[in-house]
Amino acid sequence: MIDANVLPRVLHGSSRRPLSLVQHEEAFAPRERVTSLLDELEASGLTGRGGAAFPTARKVRLLREQHGRRKWVVVNAMEGEPASHKEISLLSSNPHLVLDGAEYLASMIGAERIDVCVARDNPTAINHLNQAIHERERSAKREALIELRTLPGRYVAGEESALIHWLNDNESLPQYRPNRPSILKIGHAPALVDNAETCANVGLIGRYGAGWFRGLGTPQSPGSTLVSVTGALAHPTVLEVALGTPLRLILAAANADSDPQALLLGGYGGNWLDAAHLDVAYDNEALNPLGAAVGAGVIVVLPRHGCGVLETQRVVRWMANESARQCGPCAFGLPALASDLAQLTRGLADASGAHQRLIERCEAINGRGACHHPDGVVRFVRSALRVFASDFDQHIKHLPCPGSTSPAHFVPVPSLEREEELQWL
Amino acid sequence: MIALTSPYLWYTTRATGIVTLVLFTLVVALGTLVSNRIGGTIVGRFELNELHRSISIVAMVFLLIHVLTTIVDSYVATGIISVVVPMTSQFKRVGVALGAISFDLMVAVLVSSVMKSRIENRSWRFIHWFSWLAFIASIVHAYLTGTDTKDGAGLVLVIVCSLVVIGAALWRYAARPTRASGRTALSPLATSDTPLPSDPTTRAFPSQPRAQAQRGRK
Amino acid sequence: MAVRRRSGGFLLKVNPILCDGYGHCHELAPELVEMDEWGYPIIVKTPTPYANVAALESARYAVRGCPRQALRIERVIDQS
Repeated sequence: MIDANVLPRVLHGSSRRPLSLVQHEEAFAPRERVTSLLDELEASGLTGRGGAAFPTARKVRLLREQHGRRKWVVVNAMEGEPASHKEISLLSSNPHLVLDGAEYLASMIGAERIDVCVARDNPTAINHLNQAIHERERSAKREALIELRTLPGRYVAGEESALIHWLNDNESLPQYRPNRPSILKIGHAPALVDNAETCANVGLIGRYGAGWFRGLGTPQSPGSTLVSVTGALAHPTVLEVALGTPLRLILAAANADSDPQALLLGGYGGNWLDAAHLDVAYDNEALNPLGAAVGAGVIVVLPRHGCGVLETQRVVRWMANESARQCGPCAFGLPALASDLAQLTRGLADASGAHQRLIERCEAINGRGACHHPDGVVRFVRSALRVFASDFDQHIKHLPCPGSTSPAHFVPVPSLEREEELQWL
Repeated sequence: MIALTSPYLWYTTRATGIVTLVLFTLVVALGTLVSNRIGGTIVGRFELNELHRSISIVAMVFLLIHVLTTIVDSYVATGIISVVVPMTSQFKRVGVALGAISFDLMVAVLVSSVMKSRIENRSWRFIHWFSWLAFIASIVHAYLTGTDTKDGAGLVLVIVCSLVVIGAALWRYAARPTRASGRTALSPLATSDTPLPSDPTTRAFPSQPRAQAQRGRK
Repeated sequence: MAVRRRSGGFLLKVNPILCDGYGHCHELAPELVEMDEWGYPIIVKTPTPYANVAALESARYAVRGCPRQALRIERVIDQS
């Protein structure tokens, strides 16, 4: 039993090894039996922790209304964001809480099957989940059939239509969904897709109720959230924080650079935030007016001696390579953005033209893909143009910027996989 | 079967055969122009596409007459069966078989194209690739069964049509456009290098479509 | 196809996955479709009134003419 206003919540009891089923039941003993799970979920105001922040209860109600004898719950533990480590932290701490939440969701929509989706190149997560699933099978605690599915570790593979398409047709390619809100289906069975951390929070609400859940956070953004902090700090850290905590406190708790140049919030499809706003609360109500969002709980700290233009270029180059290459504007547009940024970073000839092209191409590419991958990149680039405006000016004039003395990189960008090696199946 | 024969049936078969060959050569050429994105300044791309579609209908009409006159004419023992089932003709078995194969494929292409809006685009394209095979079969059919095609103007015509289509096939491959989606069912074509300026800090991409998405397709 | 609609508007919508940048839509419906630098269509996002018969006809030609069947005409309910 955990107090309402105490952290950590989902990471409670975490140690070197994931909690066993017995340990989990002990550490998370419910207070009293929650009567109507769906009402509690609705009252809690829980929103998705995968990036879109969609109200979880609304999604559940939508799925409940669907006709279909067979329904599925899909747990998205893909963690495609390179700067995010929260899913793996959660699964290394307490996979049972995630699976509890998935079972609660299954009972709410009438699903008998749960698929937990993890990236193939994440053996730790696979091991922990396998163990947890087997433990539950042996303890005959099963209400739904839980299966672990391992998918290619592509960035877009964690997008929900790509996830479902892989489950259906073995290709992790995002699909065109013109009629929103559209119900995803595995075969003929409607599927509820939720992020692993969201499921963990559902697990908590199922045990402690909405009132308890709202003991932390703000009225519009209740609860706690996992944050992955990387960049200008000694070790990448995952923290569980109450929503609404000032950014400055989060950075301090992570032992990060206390006087950074800027922060990258949300993920690679997120936004840069100028460090002038460090006292802002970490929730969407405070961040959205500043052009930022909580997103997937990613914070990358860029120190004063970093170069925002260079970091932006590195990210966009990688994101372009992660395109599914299904839609022209993304397949050709993102490499073009990367090319323009490269010209600006290196201060090559026609950097001013590159800057102009960057702006025009952002406008041309936005919203013209089947999924929101190109939109995320455009959002990210536009935030860079805004936050690092003076640095871009310096680069255009071939003058050094504050970051040009340091060769170090701060945003964790993986090396580019060669195109022939990209696996989508 | 009523014994119906007349030199005019036979002449019609031969004439419509020649016309069909010429028209389909034109259709294939137009098809490659469309696929390689030709047009837009003097002639509209959509115009080439419309021509491709319209001429193929005309060609099918001539093909149908060619087939019907063959069936009706009892001078050669080629009935309805041999026109659609290969290797069942008494007369020039292999030659007619190839004609039957070609006809079957053409009908499939036609039917799928008429229903194009009702079937999945992937399925339509899968069937459409067989039009190349249909043409090859028809050219060999023309040479083997054709009375006129063994020498003189007929032979020249067959050779010219073959060269046009071979040339179209080669050009189709060589000048193929860089496409975002490599999603062509059973397509042997990979896209060529990106047309974008090379970027000093990145490798030029996309240079290939997503890794062989053709494998494992349903 | 022959239903007359006087009110409301329509949107020409493209499936970006099916679209392969052939460009026929731009030729057939230039008032609705621009091309980007890579040959892919940029379609107007505001609904065109059904009363604009010429545009509707162009849109229909574009839908029929697309080699990849990537276009659709979607009805937008009149908000007023």
